Amino acid sequence: MHEMSLMAEMIELLGCSARENNIDKIIKVHLVVGKMTMALPDALTMAFDVFKTEDIFAPSAELTIEQRETIAKCRTCGSTFSAPDNYLFICPTCQGLRIEIISGRELYIASFEGEEA
Amino acid sequence: MTIRVELGTSLLARNEEMAAEIRYLCQDNNIFLVNIMSSPGAGKTTLLEKSLNFLKTHIKVAVIEGDIATTRDADRISAQGINAVQLNTNGACHLDARMVYQAFQKLDLSALDLILVENIGNLVCPAEFDLGENLRIVLLSITEGNDKIVKYPVMFRDAQMFLLNKIDLLPYTDFNLAELEKDLRTINSELEVFHVSARLGLGIEAWSNRLISIVRNHRRSES
Ligand SMILES: Nc1nc2c(ncn2[C@@H]2O[C@H](COP(=O)(O)OP(=O)(O)OP(=O)(O)O)[C@@H](O)[C@H]2O)c(=O)[nH]1
Ligand SMILES: [Mg+2]
Ligand SMILES: [Zn+2]
Repeated sequence: MHEMSLMAEMIELLGCSARENNIDKIIKVHLVVGKMTMALPDALTMAFDVFKTEDIFAPSAELTIEQRETIAKCRTCGSTFSAPDNYLFICPTCQGLRIEIISGRELYIASFEGEEA
Repeated sequence: MTIRVELGTSLLARNEEMAAEIRYLCQDNNIFLVNIMSSPGAGKTTLLEKSLNFLKTHIKVAVIEGDIATTRDADRISAQGINAVQLNTNGACHLDARMVYQAFQKLDLSALDLILVENIGNLVCPAEFDLGENLRIVLLSITEGNDKIVKYPVMFRDAQMFLLNKIDLLPYTDFNLAELEKDLRTINSELEVFHVSARLGLGIEAWSNRLISIVRNHRRSES
């Protein structure tokens, strides 16, 4: 349910960067979202449609979401493995439980495109 | 002409900046900050009411209450003679660092050792928002069922302390303690676990004492 506030934040950040880069209307946004952030692509897209009416976007503006899998690294043996959906992290190599998350928590605007002012 | 900007900015970047400001304020004033999270009704406010009675005789503590609306929880804490600031998110499902920073402005930081933040009742969203805290506590109550651990793993993975509340209701449910312990170990093997009944006051002293000793150790290492 925090997708709405995440989108509001994205609009703010895009607004600033568009001004700095002399962009008038944004046409494309590329967002990277790790699965472990619990931010759902569908809910993000819905929230984006709400904010799309703002001045900084062209009516045809599009949001692409690139989802990243959750990947863990075992602190005992160092092997990396992708996390099961239930996040019950057990190292498949050594059965170790002390693990660190190396991917899956991403939540950033990779890039955007727009028309020059 | 079309311009392409490679941005790489996190949607949480500004929250993290505010969280850093909060950490700075806490360091400056030698304050330990705790973020308490759970689903709605797991017993956060009741736990605080009971624990504050004990905590306040040992350390100087204030509370920041997060709710979508109303000042009820802050009123309950104030009734214990504790300084409480109510934050209302007006619909938002989590506290963010900016709100907590604003609440800090209403507290006499130099007169405090510990600030307890009660987050909005929600097991998903608050996990993503760093408040600059030193310790994350998640509360789960018996009536919610032990499967909540695997259904909301991120919350339990990110916490350092776990409180199982409403332990008085254990005999009336099919809550599976063995399964809970197994799941907790695989999701977060370093989690410190306490069983409490905020209602009956069971286990309150044990976890409060542990919190006091964590706060004191932290203060010693900081000063
Ligand atoms: N049986 C039992 N009931 C409890 C216990 N702790 C809290 N309750 C009851 O659970 C209900 C909710 O408690 P609160 O302390 O308001 O829960 P909360 O987590 O602060 O709720 P929100 O702030 O709305 O998210 C109240 O009716 C409490 O009396 C407990 O240990 N045992
Ligand atoms: Mg409450
Ligand atoms: Zn291993």
